[in-house]
Amino acid sequence: MRLLTKTTIFYLLLMMLVFSIGGITIYRSVKKVVALETDYALIYNFQIIEAALKKGQELEDLLTDKVYVNKLIGLPKIDSSFKFSDTIAIHPQLKRPEPHRKLTTSRLINEHGYHFQILEVFIEEGDVLDGVVNVITRLFLVLSIVILVFSFLISKKLFQPFQDILKRIGHFNLKSDEDLILPKTTTKEFKELNHFIESMTSKARQDYLSLKEFSENASHEMQTPIAVAKGKLELLLESEDLQPEHLKLIQSAQVSLSKLSKMGMALSLLTKIENQEFSNQEPINFSKIVESAIFDFKEICELKSLTIETNIAENIKLKIDGALADILVGNLLKNAVHHNWVKGHIKVTLNSDKLTISNSGEKPVIPTEQLFNRFTKNNQSSSTLGLGLSIVKKICEVSNLNIDYYYENEEHILKILFP
Amino acid sequence: MKLLIIEDEKELAENIRSYLSNEEIICELANSYQEAEEKLLNFPYDIVLLDLMLPDGNGLDILELIKQKNTGIGVLIISAKNALDDRIKGLDRGADDYLTKPFHLSELNSRMKAIFRRRKFDGRTYLTFEEIKIDTANHEVEINDKLIEFTVKEYELLLFFVTNKNRVLTKQTIAEHLWGDNVDFLDSYDFVYQHIKNMRKKIINAGGKDYLKTIYGLGYKFSV
Repeated sequence: MRLLTKTTIFYLLLMMLVFSIGGITIYRSVKKVVALETDYALIYNFQIIEAALKKGQELEDLLTDKVYVNKLIGLPKIDSSFKFSDTIAIHPQLKRPEPHRKLTTSRLINEHGYHFQILEVFIEEGDVLDGVVNVITRLFLVLSIVILVFSFLISKKLFQPFQDILKRIGHFNLKSDEDLILPKTTTKEFKELNHFIESMTSKARQDYLSLKEFSENASHEMQTPIAVAKGKLELLLESEDLQPEHLKLIQSAQVSLSKLSKMGMALSLLTKIENQEFSNQEPINFSKIVESAIFDFKEICELKSLTIETNIAENIKLKIDGALADILVGNLLKNAVHHNWVKGHIKVTLNSDKLTISNSGEKPVIPTEQLFNRFTKNNQSSSTLGLGLSIVKKICEVSNLNIDYYYENEEHILKILFP
Repeated sequence: MKLLIIEDEKELAENIRSYLSNEEIICELANSYQEAEEKLLNFPYDIVLLDLMLPDGNGLDILELIKQKNTGIGVLIISAKNALDDRIKGLDRGADDYLTKPFHLSELNSRMKAIFRRRKFDGRTYLTFEEIKIDTANHEVEINDKLIEFTVKEYELLLFFVTNKNRVLTKQTIAEHLWGDNVDFLDSYDFVYQHIKNMRKKIINAGGKDYLKTIYGLGYKFSV
């Protein structure tokens, strides 16, 4: 939900509360005023009747269905105070019981005692309530419309810089050569936000560049010292009188050095792919690439007694860098050979929408989605680096290809889906 | 054979020199672009080992210089960069071969000699080792003057052993020579063994002696 929608809803709820309290207050005071006014009217009516009696008018002429006067017999004690009370009486016009206000008092007029009961119909509570609710509702509606319209206008105007900032951040690319420039604004909060984001992105970009430079240099700078060490070991092998245990030590040192150097190369390849250094995306004949890779692996398959079954459609064109395509197919076949049983099989199928490589082999013990992570190996003690599939994944990412892997019927099945 | 090693890492250059010291090769070292340029202008060489990254210049410029002189010098590039375009760039400009660091010295030796053979004798040369005769132009092997059928890999293996005779070659070195990066170590040891077994059998069946000595758990040595 948008910030302004939230504040608007909040304001509307607050308004509703205030208006309800206001409504109740108004209702109460109106009711009070009405009661007071009714009482005044009763007193006024009484005074007219009193004056008329004093003038000697006949009592009967003064009586109506709202005025009851009783002539008191004798001279009882006269209570001349006004007593008001609420009562129900028949409304003369409506002919039904309605709440009334009643004034009760007594007077001594022309030596006679009179007891007065004067009624006046109340303004109905319901009517008051209706009136109040009506007014409050209208006010509320008008105010709501005003607030909604304004919040819409404000969001367009005031939040424009914020929207601009969001858009720029959305388009920001860590790998781009330019710093992020944000639109100027006069709002203090947005100024602070701009400043913060600009310094943060420029820092991130610098870090990224230095990291990139470091990983590029590190992986090939380390190859020379490894070459030196490997050479020394080879020279050591030439020396006379080496015992078997010495040879073993040299051998395992050499293997480790080879691993180290291959790891450096694989990581540098990953970095290069990530940095889009292979950006030649002309359509190439993928069928030929797959065929020549299979040809390269034929001999190795024979050595491991693997049967290799191929079904390659001709002239499948694919938009991918040629070098990456070679690495991609090579890595997949290498995996198919490596994670296979002796006398197992490999099936390679290429058609216009996918390349499928399936091979017999042990069930993977780690979750399949982790197989594509760097340095994840199905068998931790194995001699491989665990970078082959992450290179495959990276190549697919930059070439808009999808990858799918599953294990079924003692077969590893890996599919590269073309766009 | 006269060899110039252009490499700024002195230890590495020294490794190569010591490794080749018992071959009939005269080695000279140049540690910088300038030194390399001077030596190339003043002395004749058969083969140049060229590192592309020098502290005071680009190795590719030296390659340019060698090609301008047009003296038939063979160039083997040794570089830490394995960037595909670096490789292609080097070969485009007339380098004979490209070796990525770190390399096995035996591999370097074998590549270097292959260049030398191609350059000096237009490839028409026979390598002989006792009763074994290898025709490198036609990729043929004769044992006791009898032509023996070798597969491509067996031929490569024999050539590798003969060019590195009297040296210990580990299984790892042999595997990398035969398949490059296409196999993993553990797999490849079995594969190496299979090829060696076949090659040895063919030599013995043809009346050749078994020159291949197994070095306990490590590799092999081809020697009398």
